[in-house]
Amino acid sequence: MDYTIRVATLEDCKDIYRMIMELAKHEKVSDQVKIAQRDLEQDGFSKNPFFQSIIAEVPEQHRSKDGHSKVGYALYFFAYSSWKGRSVYMEDLYVMPEYRGKGIGKALMSKIAQLGLAAGCNQLNFAVLNWNKESMDFYLSQGCWDVTTGLDYHCMRCEGPALEALARGDPKN
Amino acid sequence: MANFILRKAEPRDVPDILRLIKELAKFEEMEEQVVLTETELLQDGFGEQPFYHCIMAEVPEDRRSSDGHTVVGFAMYYFTYDPWIGKMLYLEDFYVMKEYRGMAVHTQYIHSTAVKSRCSGMHFIVAEWNKPSIDFYKRRGASDLSHEEGWRLFEIDKEYLLKMSAK
Repeated sequence: MDYTIRVATLEDCKDIYRMIMELAKHEKVSDQVKIAQRDLEQDGFSKNPFFQSIIAEVPEQHRSKDGHSKVGYALYFFAYSSWKGRSVYMEDLYVMPEYRGKGIGKALMSKIAQLGLAAGCNQLNFAVLNWNKESMDFYLSQGCWDVTTGLDYHCMRCEGPALEALARGDPKN
Repeated sequence: MANFILRKAEPRDVPDILRLIKELAKFEEMEEQVVLTETELLQDGFGEQPFYHCIMAEVPEDRRSSDGHTVVGFAMYYFTYDPWIGKMLYLEDFYVMKEYRGMAVHTQYIHSTAVKSRCSGMHFIVAEWNKPSIDFYKRRGASDLSHEEGWRLFEIDKEYLLKMSAK
């Protein structure tokens, strides 16, 4: 099947948002999506964007049964390693179920690698859930390595009231 | 007189930033992994689109370190994005020289930076063996996503990036 991979524009936000919701619904956690389409537009397409995105598109004749031709996306941003410098972080990678198995996911990831290298990055980082054996095996076969296992690193998060309390410097003992 | 001041990093801080990065890496027994140079730090942090931001902690002259440094700590961070909750702040490095610890140096500044920039959360990584740090953050409400949700952080190095981008 023919497809193209290209950099996303403001007009793509509608479809990116649709696919974010599809992925969340599939994982049965759509109530966890707190942002709206306009947040994506503001945060991704203003002067200092917080993320970058790329889209996978198919020609008219391969539109989905709901009439969509934008069938996959990846969302990434530039990050920094205090050891090695510029890096790129792949936050989301998604292809609609009926378009999987055609190399679209791999092509999206390859595009991120190209864009990252062009921007002077030395590494690409991303997170995988430990039950997702198929994805883990795929990434390992591509030469990736598991930092969590390899270096015993734990990914931590501080948000909401905890973040605000931390900002105030609330005593905790 | 205040014990220390916190301020945004300036280009002149680059040598101290690299010195402190290496000190922290040494503490993590990873010193040889630091390949970043002062030139890269300058380019990447103080150009038109910075890849990172830094806060420096400085003490007055009369509290200089035994090696003569007044810059005694730093925090390096950048902004990231979670497509479900929006803007996040990622704390890449956070270090205070041993003899100046215990003054709650950076925590408030970084965390209020996150709140002021309307970030929905802050992410960072802690090594499993660093129990004091894990406990410090857990007491303040941080969640261990690797443990609770099963997230594993992966990395692809340049050699494989090149192979991947050529496919």
